[in-house]
Amino acid sequence: MLRREINELLTQTGPGTPMGELFRQYWFPACLAEELPEDGAPPVRLKLLGERMVAFRDSYGRYGLIDEFCAHRGASLWFGRNEDGGLRCPYHGWKYDTTGQCTEVPSEADNSSFAENVKLTAYPLVKIGDILWTYMGDPAKQPPLPEYEFALVPPEQTYTSKRWQQSNWLQAFEGGIDSSHVTFLHSGGLKSDPLFKGAKGNQYNLNDTKPFFEVADSDGGLFVGARRNAEEGQYYWRITPWVMPNFTMVPPRGDHPIHGHFWVPIDDENCWAYSFDYHPVRALTPEERQAMIDGHGVHSKNIPGTYRPVANMDNDYLMNREKQKSGEWYSGVEGIAIQDSSLQESMGPIVDRTKERLVPADSGIIKARQKLRKAALALRDHGTTPPGVDPKHHHVRSAAVVLPQAEAFLDAAREDVTVRPGMPVSSV
Amino acid sequence: MPKVIYVSASGAEQAVDALDGESVMATAVKNGVPGIIGECGGNASCATCHVWVRDEFLSLVGEPGEMEDDLLDLGVGDRRAGSRLSCQITCTPELDGLTVDVPPEQA
Repeated sequence: MLRREINELLTQTGPGTPMGELFRQYWFPACLAEELPEDGAPPVRLKLLGERMVAFRDSYGRYGLIDEFCAHRGASLWFGRNEDGGLRCPYHGWKYDTTGQCTEVPSEADNSSFAENVKLTAYPLVKIGDILWTYMGDPAKQPPLPEYEFALVPPEQTYTSKRWQQSNWLQAFEGGIDSSHVTFLHSGGLKSDPLFKGAKGNQYNLNDTKPFFEVADSDGGLFVGARRNAEEGQYYWRITPWVMPNFTMVPPRGDHPIHGHFWVPIDDENCWAYSFDYHPVRALTPEERQAMIDGHGVHSKNIPGTYRPVANMDNDYLMNREKQKSGEWYSGVEGIAIQDSSLQESMGPIVDRTKERLVPADSGIIKARQKLRKAALALRDHGTTPPGVDPKHHHVRSAAVVLPQAEAFLDAAREDVTVRPGMPVSSV
Repeated sequence: MPKVIYVSASGAEQAVDALDGESVMATAVKNGVPGIIGECGGNASCATCHVWVRDEFLSLVGEPGEMEDDLLDLGVGDRRAGSRLSCQITCTPELDGLTVDVPPEQA
């Protein structure tokens, strides 16, 4: 169980809240680069950490993330005209550049300085890999750009999708560090999903439904190790890194691409689940890329033109009781991503953690909550920079390795969970 | 046999003979002490066996472990100096007479 006030602390990310301020220390995904595909592209409405913004790419290719609403009378700049070097409100023609600076108020005299004194809230928007990243905190404390491996490898080696999840970010994220549900919820996928199947490790996964969990601190967050029995004298370890506050990776399977997530709060009752797949040493094959686009693996099949999954709470996630009964889809819901989102959304928009009953397999969740809480309070009370801000903390990988029983997992796998450019992941 | 004394919020004392090596939580559950639940079975992961150890026994009982410490922060209504998860305290002859208070909200 979690005390009510701690549940509130960890789930509320609006401006001025302790967790909201914690999130505002980091670079995180604002949207996908594909949403602003060319210079002068239509602006995109975004809500992040409870703030309504528009992202746009001006006619010179500069990216900006500015307050959604015109400073004049509050009309949404989503209706804006993306014109020569700025976004113009179609109501009375006020125009803004990518820094939020108002550059034109047409009703004013030509020699007026009125526009100079009008500036909208704005945050940086930077393209790295397939993602446009933002930092919504104090400009004076802006950290160096993120260095996550999936965003830095050549474009042909990586793919990122996103989907809207109708729940608070924390319950979505907690699924990302909870390896024990895989044996049940995703058991069908381990056998059939083109991006999972065939790995030797899958057998260890399916054969041992009682993993033992060990959690170890990392510079940026945690490594959660799930230990299952392997051959005589050995354990199969699936190691999940978490970089604070909202980056997780899934342990790999065989030579399949390695994947993971960012869990980004939209507001307290919605979040974006970003899902990426990459291979550190080779291009994704056309078949792999197509499978990702088709919503296999950790990705989702979305309603065309949107980032809402086709299977969602309004259609009961297209529940199929026959496939549930046969075990092809253990929960009756198709696909890893929607298997997760269906259950996480079913908890309600913000799950009441005062009523939960945790077990030893949840030790990663307990440690993560404590780290988030401590970091949020240390920031609020002492201005302490939290773990995960330093880009060096981003150089982590998940791993799936077989280790001698006597060895401590992190001592034995330290190299395996560290980014080694040009080297493959450690995976069975 | 070491004895453990559980004191309820109303002050009622329940003295129980414990097995050497058994936890203070398991001893309470076996003997039906109200307010000590031990939902997770003694693995320091649920915080439903919280007790306040009386001052005079604190140094004998020792410090909480890391996970226990986290749970005392996250899951316990009123954490005090004597707060411990009773599943993490082992009954021994040295702890004979150990006295713990059971928080009112667990009863």
